[in-house]
Amino acid sequence: MEVKLLNEKVTLLPQKALWFKSRKILLVADLHFGKINHFRKSGIPVPAKANDKNTELLINLLNQTKPDRIIFLGDLFHSHYNEEWEVVGQIRKHFTFCSFELVLGNHDILSAVQYERHAMIVHPVELAIGNFILTHEPLTQVQEGRYNLSGHVHPGITLSGTGRQTLTLPCFYFGKQQGILPAFGSFTGLARISPKKEERIFVIAENKIIAYSHA
Amino acid sequence: MNIREELGRQWFDQQGWKPFPFQVEAWHCLWNGESGLINAPTGSGKTYSLLIPILLDGLEKTDQRIKHSGPRAIWITPIRALAKEIEYSARRANEGLSLNWRIGVRSGDTSTKERTKQKDRPPDFLITTPESLHVLLSQKGYADFFAGLQTIVADEWHELIGSKRGVLMELALSRLKAINPSLKIWGISATIGNMEQSLQVLLGNYYERNPYRIIKAKLNKKVEIISVFPDEIEGLPWAGHLGIKLIDKVIPIIKQSKTTLLFTNTRSFAEIWYQKILDKAPELSGLMAMHHGSISKELRYWVEDQLHEGKLKAVVCTSSLDLGVDFRPVETVIQVGSPKGVARFLQRAGRSGHQPGAVSKIYFLPTNTLELTEAAALREALERNIVEDRIPYLRSFDVLIQYLITLSVSDGFVPALILAELKTTVSFASISDEEWEWVLAFITTGGDALTAYNEYRKVIVEDGVYKVDNKRIAMKHRLSIGTIVGDNLLYVKFVSGKYLGTIEEYFISRLNPGDIFWFAGRSLELVRIKEMDVHVRKSNRKSGKVPSWQGGRMPLSSQMSEMIRVKIDQSATHTENDEEMKFLRPLMDLQKDRSHLPRKNEFLIEYFHSSEGFHVLMYPFEGRFVHEGMAALVAYRIALIKPISFSIAMNDYGFELLSDQEIPIYEAIETDVLGIENLLKDIQASINSTEMARRKFRDIAAISGLIFKGLPGKKIKERHLQSSSQLFFNVFHEYESHNLLLLQAFEEVMDFQLEEARLRRALDRIAHQKIIITEPEMPTPFAFPIMVDRTREKLTSEKLEDRIRKMMISFE
Repeated sequence: MEVKLLNEKVTLLPQKALWFKSRKILLVADLHFGKINHFRKSGIPVPAKANDKNTELLINLLNQTKPDRIIFLGDLFHSHYNEEWEVVGQIRKHFTFCSFELVLGNHDILSAVQYERHAMIVHPVELAIGNFILTHEPLTQVQEGRYNLSGHVHPGITLSGTGRQTLTLPCFYFGKQQGILPAFGSFTGLARISPKKEERIFVIAENKIIAYSHA
Repeated sequence: MNIREELGRQWFDQQGWKPFPFQVEAWHCLWNGESGLINAPTGSGKTYSLLIPILLDGLEKTDQRIKHSGPRAIWITPIRALAKEIEYSARRANEGLSLNWRIGVRSGDTSTKERTKQKDRPPDFLITTPESLHVLLSQKGYADFFAGLQTIVADEWHELIGSKRGVLMELALSRLKAINPSLKIWGISATIGNMEQSLQVLLGNYYERNPYRIIKAKLNKKVEIISVFPDEIEGLPWAGHLGIKLIDKVIPIIKQSKTTLLFTNTRSFAEIWYQKILDKAPELSGLMAMHHGSISKELRYWVEDQLHEGKLKAVVCTSSLDLGVDFRPVETVIQVGSPKGVARFLQRAGRSGHQPGAVSKIYFLPTNTLELTEAAALREALERNIVEDRIPYLRSFDVLIQYLITLSVSDGFVPALILAELKTTVSFASISDEEWEWVLAFITTGGDALTAYNEYRKVIVEDGVYKVDNKRIAMKHRLSIGTIVGDNLLYVKFVSGKYLGTIEEYFISRLNPGDIFWFAGRSLELVRIKEMDVHVRKSNRKSGKVPSWQGGRMPLSSQMSEMIRVKIDQSATHTENDEEMKFLRPLMDLQKDRSHLPRKNEFLIEYFHSSEGFHVLMYPFEGRFVHEGMAALVAYRIALIKPISFSIAMNDYGFELLSDQEIPIYEAIETDVLGIENLLKDIQASINSTEMARRKFRDIAAISGLIFKGLPGKKIKERHLQSSSQLFFNVFHEYESHNLLLLQAFEEVMDFQLEEARLRRALDRIAHQKIIITEPEMPTPFAFPIMVDRTREKLTSEKLEDRIRKMMISFE
């Protein structure tokens, strides 16, 4: 699904990623790698196998798009260091053609050394790509002519129809100066948003992206 | 007559009482070392049937006391209000008999200071709850602590057995019996349908090999039900559960009576009723109080004391005053809304009329028109002496996992010994070796025995002993012992520091500072929320939000359901004789005009179209739980005919399938959608395609320790560990479908919602009924309350994409 942001064409992928084809830049938000291990270390038995889905998805996405840069919009790693960070390192090592960059999120509390070890470029607050400002948390104010892309929210939308039908699904959100990506990580929840009329929403329906339309 | 009986009788004499034969029988049984069950209603002296022999037990062997520093007797009560009552009675008898038992209470209300004191110098007679008993099992050296235990009493056992708290008791008893092979186990229970089974669950292996006895107090208390009617039938709404419209009828009842208890089914309704009564009758201010489980201990104790002393005209309360406690000044009981079960209704009716031979009068206040049927059904059930069963929980692996960690936290456990003890319980008698191995793997490796990941930390094995060596995990576990699952609770306090009670985070998070809400019968202004504390100040504003507390929606019991079918049939044949049913005549006529009034041999289905979509309503009159299962089954079968999505609602009388497209109901009936062929297969498929198991899993996840609520005052730090039961359900479903906790969620649906046997019976009954399909032009009195219900289940056989596209179109 292609949409225009600031007159630039971008592609929304059902893998919950945003692809700047012309710039060969891939944006992904809220992966929460290591969350499962973090739970397990604290005695909460989440099946460890659930990790594999996240890594598999990321690898496939990188193979499919072959980006020059992949930029994580925060919450790449869930908490303190655990073995799963080495899995992230393995992926990083394999995709030598691509630069791995992270805009720090509230969950990214690893020490700087860890990012260096895996040759990751860290942007502590924000990163500008042309007129796009990439952050983890949505900015409260965006300069005229700029557009903010962020994560953090884990947006989801509830659709309703006749016969009291309802469905809550993850989505992309695009306001006038602000876009929010869905959370990539599978062991994460959703926060319901209520879009205004002028805002565009794209719903992720399994392997498809469907534009949500107001009246 | 031995010396002990003589002493007991003497003390009774001094009180001006005469022991009932059942009491004396119980004394001797206990002295003979037997176990058993006292079946007696409240206010019958059941407490003294066991208190006296326990206190006088061991009178001849006083030297035993010096050896052990730990309780010799434990009295388990399901609610805190009762603990205080037992303590009072025990102290009274202890002093009267000139004995020197140290009597103490330990519950969620007990202060840390008091707990430490009890640890150093334990009471000989300990009054506690199932949860607090498990907290004691989680402490180092608990085996020594319990070494001198001779008797344990489970009071109000009928309340515990139908919940997972009953499983907590079974597990604790299996351990205590191993520590003290001559332990005497007693239960006290109101009458339930499955008395014998409930005793078996309590005794476990004692049932097969030890002497035991069921002692019945043959006291038949007469109960009279008086319905409160509006002046005309229009005075009651067709749907709703609050009943406030009849408040003008309630106030005179309160004024005429010395002391009245007004029971509501939820805590929010209690708050609303309290406030509205004061609005209508300000002169009751100071003479009226409120009592529910979220109010602070001090306030609750104050209310109970005032009740005892006869200083209150009325108390608005919930089930927190259901059990055990005798308040002699109480003359009148008002029940707002249906109690949904005969046993609960009798319990509440028993709060009044304490004089021997007095009739217990209970006013039934309907909250919607059809509810009056339930008053008539209750009366019929009383006449026929019908009381419900309380079905015990079997194979609750969530409780088992919690218990094993409890033991690991204290002194550790050796699997073979504990497995042998488990097999003495009814709940886990059937546990297989594979299941046991799985449970052990789950707590040590986090589920997968052959995993390459080794970071899991909870229970470790050292020389064959399973234990927890991490202090943080141990502390977290002790804080989360129990099976009562609710939302996160915050503490409501005045700015000055005075504590008022607890409130659910969910409610308070929707308020802003300055907002007014009602709590404990006071109008309060929210000042700020600081960590776990909600700071408030008094407000004079009348209008404010009323907090909601979760839970409180009980389904109609199958016994009551059957009585309702009898009452509807009487209306259909114009043979009704209850006042309630006569009053309902116009409503029943309207039901007949718009659709049909089903006779005993008829099954009514209504099909119609409204602005909401297409509705199918069916009325099996089997109670909410069974309807939930039956609705899922029927929806699943219709969805096989064509791709279709349903929104499902139900109440105690019937259920609704609502769809955006035409429902092929005639074709469905032709293809035997209500038939019993392939029943088990279809039941399983319909559980898989609805949310029922998912909902059961919520409690299971909390009890087994998957969901952690955060430590008091430390909420923020634990945020990285927060998750929802939904996410757990999804990952288990996807990666670990053999997980016993996941399977338990499905088993619980099978046991309580889709109980195959009961569903089969209901479907068999329907198979012999004549199916009548009507197409009413307007919603009928039967349909309306179901249609407006917003708690709904979903089932679909359409493609996700198609559903989204349709919803998109409906926006345009």
